[in-house]
Amino acid sequence: MMDKKRNIRNMSVIAHVDHGKSTLTDSLVSKAGIIAGARAGETRFTDTRKDEQDRCITIKSTAISMFFELEEKDMVFITNADQREKGEKGFLINLIDSPGHVDFSSEVTAALRVTDGALVVVDCVSGVCVQTETVLRQAIAERIKPILFMNKMDRALLELQLEAEELYQTFQRIVENVNVIIATYNDDGGPMGEVRVDPSKGSVGFGSGLHGWAFTLKQFAEMYADKFKIDLVKLMNRLWGENFFNAKTKKWAKQKDNDNKRSFCMYVLDPIYKVFDAIMNFKKEEIDGLLTKIGVTIKHEDADKDGKALLKVVMRSWLPAGEALLQMIAIHLPSPVVAQKYRMEMLYEGPHDDEAALGIKSCDPEAPLMMYVSKMVPTSDKGRFYAFGRVFSGKVVTGQKARIMGPNFQPGKKEDLYEKTIQRTILMMGRYVEAIEDVPCGNICGLVGVDQFLVKTGTITTFKNAHNMKVMKFSVSPVVRVAVEPKNPADLPKLVEGLKRLAKSDPMVQCINEESGEHIVAGAGELHLEICLKDLEEDHACIPIKKSDPVVSYRETVSEESDQMCLSKSPNKHNRLFMKAQPMPEGLPEDIDDGKVNPRDDFKTRARYLTDKYEYDVTEARKIWCFGPEGTGPNIMVDCSKGVQYLNEIKDSVVAGFQWAAKEGVMAEENLRGVRFNIYDVTLHTDAIHRGGGQIIPTTRRCLYACLLTAQPRLMEPVYLCEIQCPEVAVGGIYGVLNRRRGHVFEESQVAGTPMFVVKAYLPVNESFGFTADLRSNTGGQAFPQCVFDHWQILPGDPCEPGSKPYVVVQETRKRKGLKEGLPDLSQYLDKL
Amino acid sequence: MANFTTDGKLCIEREIEINTPDKQFDDLLTRFDISETCQWITDNNFQKVCLQFPDELLGVSAKIYQEIKKKVEVDLYILGDTSYASCCVDSVAAMHVQGNAVVHYGHSCFTKTNIPVFTVLPKDHLDVDTTMKVLHDNFNSDDNVKMCLFYDAGFEHCKDKISERWFQYYPQSYISFVQIEEHPHRFLGRVIRNKGGEEFPVEVLKDCICIHVGSRGQTVFNYTISIAASEWYVLDPNTSKVEHLQETMWFRRRRFLVEKCKDANVVGLLICKLAGDQTKDIISRMKELCKVNGKKSYIVSVGKPNVPKLANFPEIDIYVMIACPENDLYSARDFYKPIVYPYELEVALNSKRDPYFSTHITDYDQLLPGRPHHCDIDHVKEATDVSLITGKIRETKVDTNQGSSTDLAEKQNWALESIGQNLQDRSWKGLEQKLGETEVKKAEVGRMGIPLQYSNEPE
Repeated sequence: MMDKKRNIRNMSVIAHVDHGKSTLTDSLVSKAGIIAGARAGETRFTDTRKDEQDRCITIKSTAISMFFELEEKDMVFITNADQREKGEKGFLINLIDSPGHVDFSSEVTAALRVTDGALVVVDCVSGVCVQTETVLRQAIAERIKPILFMNKMDRALLELQLEAEELYQTFQRIVENVNVIIATYNDDGGPMGEVRVDPSKGSVGFGSGLHGWAFTLKQFAEMYADKFKIDLVKLMNRLWGENFFNAKTKKWAKQKDNDNKRSFCMYVLDPIYKVFDAIMNFKKEEIDGLLTKIGVTIKHEDADKDGKALLKVVMRSWLPAGEALLQMIAIHLPSPVVAQKYRMEMLYEGPHDDEAALGIKSCDPEAPLMMYVSKMVPTSDKGRFYAFGRVFSGKVVTGQKARIMGPNFQPGKKEDLYEKTIQRTILMMGRYVEAIEDVPCGNICGLVGVDQFLVKTGTITTFKNAHNMKVMKFSVSPVVRVAVEPKNPADLPKLVEGLKRLAKSDPMVQCINEESGEHIVAGAGELHLEICLKDLEEDHACIPIKKSDPVVSYRETVSEESDQMCLSKSPNKHNRLFMKAQPMPEGLPEDIDDGKVNPRDDFKTRARYLTDKYEYDVTEARKIWCFGPEGTGPNIMVDCSKGVQYLNEIKDSVVAGFQWAAKEGVMAEENLRGVRFNIYDVTLHTDAIHRGGGQIIPTTRRCLYACLLTAQPRLMEPVYLCEIQCPEVAVGGIYGVLNRRRGHVFEESQVAGTPMFVVKAYLPVNESFGFTADLRSNTGGQAFPQCVFDHWQILPGDPCEPGSKPYVVVQETRKRKGLKEGLPDLSQYLDKL
Repeated sequence: MANFTTDGKLCIEREIEINTPDKQFDDLLTRFDISETCQWITDNNFQKVCLQFPDELLGVSAKIYQEIKKKVEVDLYILGDTSYASCCVDSVAAMHVQGNAVVHYGHSCFTKTNIPVFTVLPKDHLDVDTTMKVLHDNFNSDDNVKMCLFYDAGFEHCKDKISERWFQYYPQSYISFVQIEEHPHRFLGRVIRNKGGEEFPVEVLKDCICIHVGSRGQTVFNYTISIAASEWYVLDPNTSKVEHLQETMWFRRRRFLVEKCKDANVVGLLICKLAGDQTKDIISRMKELCKVNGKKSYIVSVGKPNVPKLANFPEIDIYVMIACPENDLYSARDFYKPIVYPYELEVALNSKRDPYFSTHITDYDQLLPGRPHHCDIDHVKEATDVSLITGKIRETKVDTNQGSSTDLAEKQNWALESIGQNLQDRSWKGLEQKLGETEVKKAEVGRMGIPLQYSNEPE
């Protein structure tokens, strides 16, 4: 089946937290016969971990491969020749259920990378939420085609008791909202074409995952098509939007008047309302009549059920969710053949016409192997992982020798490159795996035996000149940190081993051994860290662990240009460096973070960009020596000197000194951010031996430190963008809590058509610990915050002024790192002529 | 303390106090054990003897020379300005004059040498009664907790009085005496004895409270990190202050450096000591360790190391300093690349060693075959691992092929390749001719003057 690449659909299920992804996924899983239909919606089959089941929240994304057959009559809806193999009704659906909580967004990113389509689930009661927008935006950016599902219709009907027209308006608004988001991030003329969702095309589903029923307009259109003798497609168009039907005159109209009724309400919602009404109000006599009408016969064992239980059974047999979803997926989501055509250029770093690129583009199983490993999935064997990913080109075969390339691999070099045998290839089936001989392109699978050579992600190929597949960009950053140590100090080696495993098992978490020797675990937020630490303690290290309170990492920056030309002399006094530091213009550090300005750009193009956008002098912008720290960070070193002899010879040494200083700033040895250093003049000894690295590297560092100290050094702290959803009465409470925590609200708006308000605020991450609980207790549990790292912001105050907040932070950090307390002394770094 | 200096300027500008010898002249004979020294020389019948002085004692060196010369018929040489540290016996300097023996004055680190040495310890003043009283006030004698007294080598001359008082207060406890000669239970130049003079190995201190009488310095620091004791205190007899010593932060940093060792691809063996065969042994052992782990090692010998000297080798990832443990460079943070103890490289690269350590072995002598802390080098398997420092995969590449005929060519290729890689990363590779790329220009008047202040530079 895996060879029939046109009949494969790789898809992820994405949504805001608690909108019912896992529950809905159950419907499909049960249709595939993996779990019993009656238990669908309760099993949460894809929540494989105990804590996921206990907390009713998905933490890890879980993949499952399923096989379905589509009926002949539905096959005609698949018009694109690349979307189906001739004469094949079976479809292989590789589905990834992803977490909704923002702290686990990295899992979503990893899932999106290996899929081509996304089922966006929206709770029709709460509508499009923050995370819906975030994941949808990510999906579009990755060129993932979305389809929409309105979940929790049962709640709308049973709890909110919405009128049909109201419900239609709700749906309509959600569809509009989703399409607005899509339109914002996608260009209709782009390679993906039109991606907006449209109920009348059948790319929007409605239903209830919990009860296991769902439909698209196609289902209803089929019911009425014969009766009305209207073409199915035409009818579907009629069933949505401003189409009204007058039952008396049997006429369609475009406007509402007294006698006619909206077609959607009349033909789609009315029957459902009737069924609900009859069953929930125990109108026994009506039930039987209705059942015959909708063609549902109740099985013997369900006969004595009533109320909600009966409703479930009836709805499930009438409008089985699995069927509707399957049709949506098979008809509207792209096959790998279709998708890879336009995704290749987003996926591949190398030239777009080499063998690998062409193989990906045409999804050719005969081309060289190209596979992207997007995450590591723990196996039952402790410390070992399945490398989980997508085969984009060629075939991955058990026993095959392949090149394993980590994210630091560069073509032609040997770093991060291993040639190893793939021990086994497997299919991921939720909580089970199945061994398989080989996997052709277009499929998602797991590999055994490559986990040791990759940290989190990587590219696997058989093509010798292959470049890497692009690394994933996460929408969240690991800004919250805790220090961990074993309760029993002698367990340290176990902790270290556990941290290494943890680092692999989560796409986002960072496990760091700091210069001071502390072990740090950094995650996106408190919940993320909590889960990571629990895993570390219970699964990876298996020892009791002491953890510090969460802290944030800071960055060092400057707020003005150096107030003097800083001179440092080399130890032999024969070389002199003259430099200054200045803050970067606003936006440039972010551009560097995002890769819009990066060291690999052509220097002329980069200079042009910097000149146009940031008004940098062209000649200077062309002479950016390096970025740092790590060669890519948001600080730059610019050569502004003129006619200095031997300057090119000391460039490497200066760069090394710059990398050193950018990694360990002068205040608290934290990374620098947003600092531009200018070299104005250099005096060098004429003998090469007297201007070697030994003289220049430490001197550069000293000079840069002097530059920082004379340029009003500042600290930067990370700030969350916090979106809080709550009813109007709770808004006041939110302001109170935010004010106490140095947060500030910058937007407050009502969600159209609901009594809910959305408050958007900036909140320093450092003040966010315990924020959720605090907020709930101050609003009677009505406000739900979602915090995502947004930007770095200067911590007000001068770190050189004892008593100020930054000063305290600097001193605490220095103490923690075992550095000399107090302030750095400028005279140590600055020399006089 | 005679540590290495990191700053050349300090070395040149350091002012050495010249104590006028007049005052000390009276007690010179006893103060510097002149008669014992002479006795030792005549007993062993040495012909050429070197007198090694630390900088601060150079002032009295001539006097001592004269005194000894008066008593014994022997060739005497004065050694000053030692190559590395004045606490170690400079046997190489002694060899330059083909000396038979060395008389070492001043602070000593008691490390083994391959030349006969007579150590003359400094004699510092100690008010034993007051000190002991302070001790007694601070530490209750308790039969359950044993205690051990350490004292500065400078107080050796009053050890009888010290031990008498100490055992009076704490009859169940130990004293760690200075032991200059080789001895089975000797550890860091000390031997532990109890009241009855019975000797104990250093392990006995595991549950003891150890108290050092003397000033806080590198010597005490080395004791605290290498001797496992329940607690460490230092009592400064001049101020009568008791301080509790704890080095958990330091150990944490060292464990980080052990990880750094594992990350390193190129290891520099920094030789800062000459005396003794064990130096050669430890060098070859370190080389062997690097080799079995597929790391390249280079021997670097630059005299007294400092920041600029070591930064001249940017390709080296970490330095293992083979030096007298009594220097503070190991903990210095100013170096471009960190410096570790030989023991730390052992922990990192020898899988037979326990990866966790709570006491340190500063004296590399202990790591050599036949010594208590020796541990065989294990055969290393090729493996990969995640480094928590860089967040990248680190690989142990093992050189399995040993010496068949084609290997040489292959190895050379590999060597060329790896050199090439380092060079590739540099923007300036040196001596580029750039034929035809440089514009033809008339010669101009260049810079004039001396490097301190060129003529074109502003005042």
